Amino acid sequence: MTRTLKHVILALIVFIWVLPFVALVTTSLRSETASKTSGFWTAFTPTELGHRFSTHDRTETEPFVTMSGNIFDRLNKVRDSFEVEGDVKSILFKGRAPDPDNPGKTKLLRQLIFAGDVMDVRGGEFVFQSNGDFTWTFPEAIAPKPKNLDTFINQDPVFGTDAYVEVLFENENVPNALIASFIVTIPATIIPITIAAFAAYAFAWMRFPGRDWLFVLVVSLMVVPTQLAFLPVLQGFSGIAAWATSLNAWMTDCEVTKTCQVASKTFASLWVTHTAFGLPLAIYLLRNYIVGLPKELLESARIDGASHLQIFTRLIIPLSVPALASFSIFQFLWVWNDLIVALYIGPADSSDLVFPIRLQKQLGTFKDQLHLLNASAVISIIVPLIVFLSMQRYFIRGLLAGSVKGG
Amino acid sequence: MAKVELKKVNKSFGNVHVIRDIDLEIENGEFVVFVGPSGCGKSTLLRLIAGLENLSSGVISIADRQVMDLPPSKRGIAMVFQSYALYPHMTVFNNMAFSLDLQGVTKAEIHQRVEAAAKILQMEHLLDRRPAALSGGQRQRVAIGRAIVRNPDVFLFDEPLSNLDAALRHDTRVEIAKLHTQLGATTIYVTHDQVEAMTLADKIVVLKDGEVMQVGSPMELFNFPANEFVAGFLGSPKMNFFKGVLVNGSGTDTGQFEGDSLQATNVRLVGSSKPNGAEVTLGIRPQHLVVDPAGQLKGTATLVERLGTETVIELVNGVGTRFRCASPESLDIEAGQEVSFSFNSTDAHIF
Repeated sequence: MTRTLKHVILALIVFIWVLPFVALVTTSLRSETASKTSGFWTAFTPTELGHRFSTHDRTETEPFVTMSGNIFDRLNKVRDSFEVEGDVKSILFKGRAPDPDNPGKTKLLRQLIFAGDVMDVRGGEFVFQSNGDFTWTFPEAIAPKPKNLDTFINQDPVFGTDAYVEVLFENENVPNALIASFIVTIPATIIPITIAAFAAYAFAWMRFPGRDWLFVLVVSLMVVPTQLAFLPVLQGFSGIAAWATSLNAWMTDCEVTKTCQVASKTFASLWVTHTAFGLPLAIYLLRNYIVGLPKELLESARIDGASHLQIFTRLIIPLSVPALASFSIFQFLWVWNDLIVALYIGPADSSDLVFPIRLQKQLGTFKDQLHLLNASAVISIIVPLIVFLSMQRYFIRGLLAGSVKGG
Repeated sequence: MAKVELKKVNKSFGNVHVIRDIDLEIENGEFVVFVGPSGCGKSTLLRLIAGLENLSSGVISIADRQVMDLPPSKRGIAMVFQSYALYPHMTVFNNMAFSLDLQGVTKAEIHQRVEAAAKILQMEHLLDRRPAALSGGQRQRVAIGRAIVRNPDVFLFDEPLSNLDAALRHDTRVEIAKLHTQLGATTIYVTHDQVEAMTLADKIVVLKDGEVMQVGSPMELFNFPANEFVAGFLGSPKMNFFKGVLVNGSGTDTGQFEGDSLQATNVRLVGSSKPNGAEVTLGIRPQHLVVDPAGQLKGTATLVERLGTETVIELVNGVGTRFRCASPESLDIEAGQEVSFSFNSTDAHIF
């Protein structure tokens, strides 16, 4: 009983978490019209496409008896993308027909007809096959007045990658944002984890005065919110930039070309900021992992003649892979998804904007083109997803197996 | 091959004084066992020699060289840990080659030395495996192999057998003894197991609360314990003790004991400075009690354990002192029965 309940709750949680992602992906794969007119959940069931069969244009006057063709050809001719194909299972006929009860008058008719059925429409017989071929036969040649047939054709779901092609190849914003995000994220992940690994080893296994107090201090820095530090951090960076500018003016002849100004908001400022704010957690996590490694291993290495650096590179790093991998996922996700730090401290050139800022800007420009917006969002989600899945194999259980008793 | 000397060695952790003024000399090639109850400081003493802990005061020299300021790797020692401490991400070969690699030994020589060590331990076929793929006994071998490869002056073993099951423990014990004869290196071995101590040691050091209780060969310690603690610690079942007074014999090495409804003359007296009339303890091993209806030691049996090789009887005497008797014969005694024993006073000790 409780087991079933657990499963139900688990399924519910999974559903709630997966739903937005499914919505994003689905919408991004639909046509502009479809995403505008109906919710993503209708995309999986057959949709009704409105279509008008018209015998001929007003300008044509040549009489004829039979109109024939293929429904798909006609549908695809008027659409610039999302080729419609499959089977035509039914057509919903909607229109006025002579009312048998009131001669001389018509009544509104809604009738579902199936492939192979013959329907009497405006004095002619309309028949279609499931492959889309249709004929509309009249008893005598008609002209010049055109006759119309308004229908809704039941159609299999269609998906296409047009939105992705559009955001990735027809405009430079999303590719630029991808590149900028990588430029920010990769160093902002590698730098803190490197520093933190060294620091964590020192906090865990090296004896120096004030070690525990220093560790408490570092960990307590975790409570400082990034937002609180924006002003001083920005001031710091602009101070550095001003200093660099004057150095530039003094060292080079940039004043001639008026290019002395050194930017204060750069990728490097983002690296420094993310490193600084990522370090406390990284040191905390890694230190707690490293301190749990068997003491005898390190002692054995000391007896074998390893220096601290050799113990670090040849024992600690290989044995800490799971902790390093989990922290790098943390940091990568945090930096990749970060909007506010990049907004305040990162470069402001349009081509250097990171993905979250680009998405936020697209909210304005693409507000009527949900499929494009969603395609961008999916692209930004896929990157961390790939990172996560590729790091997955480093979460090795029993890495220490065989080293010490019970291991 | 080297002599190890400890002079006035002290170690404190904060206020806790765990090693007190230990003086010890270990001869070249000797197999010395540190034995004592848990918390007696035997592992700490070993770690002090290894250099994994720093001395509070005193002098340690290995091969006539003071080593207090040297790191563990420069002391000419190799250590085998209780928990093996193998590097889990390296193969057995790399585990054994690690120290040589750090010393900058050439690849060819590493190969030759690791293979030589593996041959001694008969584990050439394990060299490509990782520790996770080894059994407990094999891991212990690798740990020993890692020590051999370094070709140290002194081998240090920190309770190396306590993680093995009983059968394997016996086999490995025999192997360690063989290895010692083969290599001839000075060996210091820490254990709480008196059987290991008795069987392996050339010299046993009994420790209690950070102090040396007695140093000597196994049989010396067994037959002539220097105090009640050593007498009680070595031997199974434990030695029986009876409280009483020294009636006669002060200043000599034999004495007369009276008390606990017992009388014994001509008993080995430990510590000749005790005055007549002093409160003393009479110690007699359970194996030395003989069932004798005319014997002076009377007790009621409370428990009879038949071990096959011997019969151990727990008894309580008239004044409530518990004692044991162990006999190689299967005695026809039931719990609740009153039994009398006699003993040879030359087998007894007065502490």
